[in-house]
Amino acid sequence: MITKKKIAALGIAVMLAAVSLAGCSGSNKGESSNKPSNSAPASESTSTPDSGNETAKLTGDFEIQYFVGGYGDKWWKKVIADFQTANPELNIKESAGPKINDQNRPRWIGGNPPDFVYIDGPVLNDRQMVEDGQLEDLTDWLKDAKNIDGELITEILAQPAQQFDGKVYNIPLVLNSWGVFWNKALFQDKGWAEPTDFPSFLAVSDKIKADGITPFIHTGKYPYYINGSILFPAIVTANNNDFTILQDMAANKVEAFESPAVLAALNKIVALRDKGFIDKASIQINHTDSQMLFLQNKDAFIPNGLWLPNEMAKDVPEGFDFGFIPSVTQEAGGKVVANTSTATVAIAKNGKNKEAAKAFLQFIFSKEQASQWAELSGAPSNIKGDISSSNAPSFVKDAAKYLTDPNTIVIPTITYNADVDKAMMDATDALTINTITPEEWVKRVTDVVKKVSK
Amino acid sequence: MNAGTAKWQRNVFIASFIIPTLIFFGVFTIYPVVQGLYYSFFEWSGMSDKKTFIGLDNFKEMLHDPIVWRAIGNDYFLVAGKVAGIMLLATFFAVALTRFGFRLAGFFRSIFFIPNVISVVVIGVLWNFIYNPQIGFLNAFLSLFTKEKVSITWLGFPDHTIWMLLPPAIWAGIGFYMILLIAAIQSIPESYYEAANIEGAGQWKQFWSITVPLTWEQIKVSILNIMMTTLNGSFVIVWIMTEGGPDNSTQVMGSYLYQMAFRQFHFGYGASIGFVILVLSLITTIALQRLMRHDTVEMS
Amino acid sequence: MNLKIKNPVAKLIIYAILILWGVSVLYPLLWTLLDSLKNNEQFFLNAPWALPELPLLWSNFSYVWSKYNFNAYFVNSLVVTIGSTGLALLLSATTAYVLARYTFRGSNALFLLYISSMMVPFVLALIPLFFLMNSMGLINTKLGLILVYTSSLLAFGIFVLIGFFKSLPKELEEAAIVDGASYYGTFFRVMLPLSQPGLITIGIVNILNIWNEYIVGTILINDPAQYTLPVEIGVMQAEMQYRTEWGPLFAALLITIVPVLVMYMIFQRQIASGITAGAIK
Repeated sequence: MITKKKIAALGIAVMLAAVSLAGCSGSNKGESSNKPSNSAPASESTSTPDSGNETAKLTGDFEIQYFVGGYGDKWWKKVIADFQTANPELNIKESAGPKINDQNRPRWIGGNPPDFVYIDGPVLNDRQMVEDGQLEDLTDWLKDAKNIDGELITEILAQPAQQFDGKVYNIPLVLNSWGVFWNKALFQDKGWAEPTDFPSFLAVSDKIKADGITPFIHTGKYPYYINGSILFPAIVTANNNDFTILQDMAANKVEAFESPAVLAALNKIVALRDKGFIDKASIQINHTDSQMLFLQNKDAFIPNGLWLPNEMAKDVPEGFDFGFIPSVTQEAGGKVVANTSTATVAIAKNGKNKEAAKAFLQFIFSKEQASQWAELSGAPSNIKGDISSSNAPSFVKDAAKYLTDPNTIVIPTITYNADVDKAMMDATDALTINTITPEEWVKRVTDVVKKVSK
Repeated sequence: MNAGTAKWQRNVFIASFIIPTLIFFGVFTIYPVVQGLYYSFFEWSGMSDKKTFIGLDNFKEMLHDPIVWRAIGNDYFLVAGKVAGIMLLATFFAVALTRFGFRLAGFFRSIFFIPNVISVVVIGVLWNFIYNPQIGFLNAFLSLFTKEKVSITWLGFPDHTIWMLLPPAIWAGIGFYMILLIAAIQSIPESYYEAANIEGAGQWKQFWSITVPLTWEQIKVSILNIMMTTLNGSFVIVWIMTEGGPDNSTQVMGSYLYQMAFRQFHFGYGASIGFVILVLSLITTIALQRLMRHDTVEMS
Repeated sequence: MNLKIKNPVAKLIIYAILILWGVSVLYPLLWTLLDSLKNNEQFFLNAPWALPELPLLWSNFSYVWSKYNFNAYFVNSLVVTIGSTGLALLLSATTAYVLARYTFRGSNALFLLYISSMMVPFVLALIPLFFLMNSMGLINTKLGLILVYTSSLLAFGIFVLIGFFKSLPKELEEAAIVDGASYYGTFFRVMLPLSQPGLITIGIVNILNIWNEYIVGTILINDPAQYTLPVEIGVMQAEMQYRTEWGPLFAALLITIVPVLVMYMIFQRQIASGITAGAIK
């Protein structure tokens, strides 16, 4: 008995050893790649020195923190390699990964942050970082900062930087949009009409339901998906297409939350709920689970962001064709409302190499990097420019069209107070499973708003 | 050798065995904890240099925070559920595997302990898949017996979702307490049972008059330990499985502390939640000890 | 020997419950293995208990192994676990012995201090702990992690070992002292060997706790070269959220479970004998 166990244990140990040897040959994931990359095209390394913006040579350590999420890290790897080539004497370090915001938090607290930060993913909240004095004030610098091609950065931004008390701390790098997806192929197959507004959305959902498919699934475990794609555009629509109401909400103005527009928007979610359109599984599942169900055609619509096709690229079944509209809550003939989702970049106030960080900003906010971003991360960059000729995927081009269409209401980036945001998410979840009424939603959220604005 | 030297030697010995441990403990446990408690009197985001002393304001705010009360309720629900579930099953297994002379007792004992060696992160992920409404085990299993496909959202009920966190907690906790009780039962001299047999006492009578009183110390320790680990540690499985949701229905104090301190940037408020957890643990320990001391007297 | 249950129905029911629980423990492990060999489509097409389709996707394992530098993390975990367990045993055994056998001014207060510390929620200490380790230059080091882990193990070790030392007959020490052994000699030559089963039990529990520890490791270690296994698993899980790779995720779970399972298989006799020996009064 005992010897048998020992042999079994030994067998497993040997197996482990064998597998771990195989592991050795793999790449050392996560190691900071300080070595200059030789793979960068030669044209770039020669073109950069020509730019009129050449200042003193950048030296020393320069650390970049970037979150790796739905957009992946291909663009970052590329742009950092390019920047390294342009500045061979700079020692660039990368702090990256899907948990990097958590991991580096102690360093931010300890006053020893990386020099440059890409603000994306959970945990990081730019409003909070500004309030905590973590970010460098870029107001004056940005006024006349030019990129490496000599263009004023402010002039090429599609969406301007968010202002906190009139000051700028972070610049949007990614311009993305929340919205609702469906599978064009499935719709064609079943003869369903693609939605253009709320009435047509409800009508087709009825049909879908009658055909035995659940019309709508969302990521209930993280309700910011449904808030971003349904609730906030609906509020703007109900507020006569005036998005300042959301900015007032972000500024913790109680009246904004008590506006009839909010109630009207909440009642649209109630309509979806009461018609039985919302997949009951929604409430407990995370983004990948909900997205997989959508890709399996088990649900017809999913509120999500434009990163979805890229994020799920490996799992998209043959013949699946993404359809997208930024909002479905507008009245018939009403304007489409695109709630943008931007990820920004900033410089740490306590960073040690702000010169390099500013040079890096000038480097990445260029047309060339913009089209690379669209190509490598599958999302539109926040830099104006025609990407129709680039290799970006077609839905990115579609989205870019939506976002530049004069008939679209584009909501700029708005960051809510973290407590209010959480309260809105919880309340929306509760609303979708019928435990509270829209009035209770408002009451709950305004209670929190009153508390935080005290 | 005079008495003074002997006393001095004794004191040196005691000091040399006590002080290194105490220093270690003081620096790496007491100091950070005290500092954490100290922060409960501040408004501090946890990220900035500015800390504002606000006295008891955090605690006053907690009184009006409905989530705090729900979290406390959930904590005690988990304590009660885990104590009942774990003690019942662990005692049953311990008795069954020692007193009944089963041939496979050793095998079962080995198996039952396995969940205790698995990291709680892994357990959380596994149970999430068991509960998954679409591709989960539970719904697929139930669908075997129904015509329609079962699609219950196990972690998404409007109320009582906290019930669903009991099975993984009990599943993961039993082994340790079972081993503790098995050791206790095995230390009971066989002659007690033989004597009881001669007197014609049945299994139940033997259990209540011999096994329970003689393992009471271990049972007590087990209950106290379950209570403490639940109040202080259950948040890990909550966080992995539900993050306190939906709509805070599975929030416990520990997860709310984490949410507040690390997600919503209220480290001071989080610290005051920690303070309350500490007070609750102390009160509950004292209360339980009173209660169980009383029981021992009654039983003997 | 033990009594046999006479009623066959009762016996059957007890057996049924034992087997049911055994299945509930073993099945998830088997299920993890099966699922670790599937691809995403199979998660949707098959019932969860279905066997994976051929060819088995063993590549899920090599994928997880080659993509993530597990052997380095394995060594890190090993060093941290052994270091903190050993140090904690020494520090808690000495204090437990003194508290079990000697009364002195403050001994009761000291006992209460350790015991009550077990009720303190450790999350509270995390951020202060970070500042402390940072100022000592111990952030991102295995030594720093060992020191914090050791400290976190002390109270439990002292708590259990006091009970253990109290259960040992006093006559043994008295005899040793009569024989002229010093306090230290008595402890190291007589009491410590006698308490070996208790030490082993505590040691195993500590090893499992540290091996599986996640939160402290995540806060104190940010350098990928210093990750322990659970920290890396956490990182990987977060990545899985954006990649949807259920098969590899289950492979990773299995890889996490197997080392502790092996440890358990090797040491379970010691756990059992340790507990039984400790129970002899």
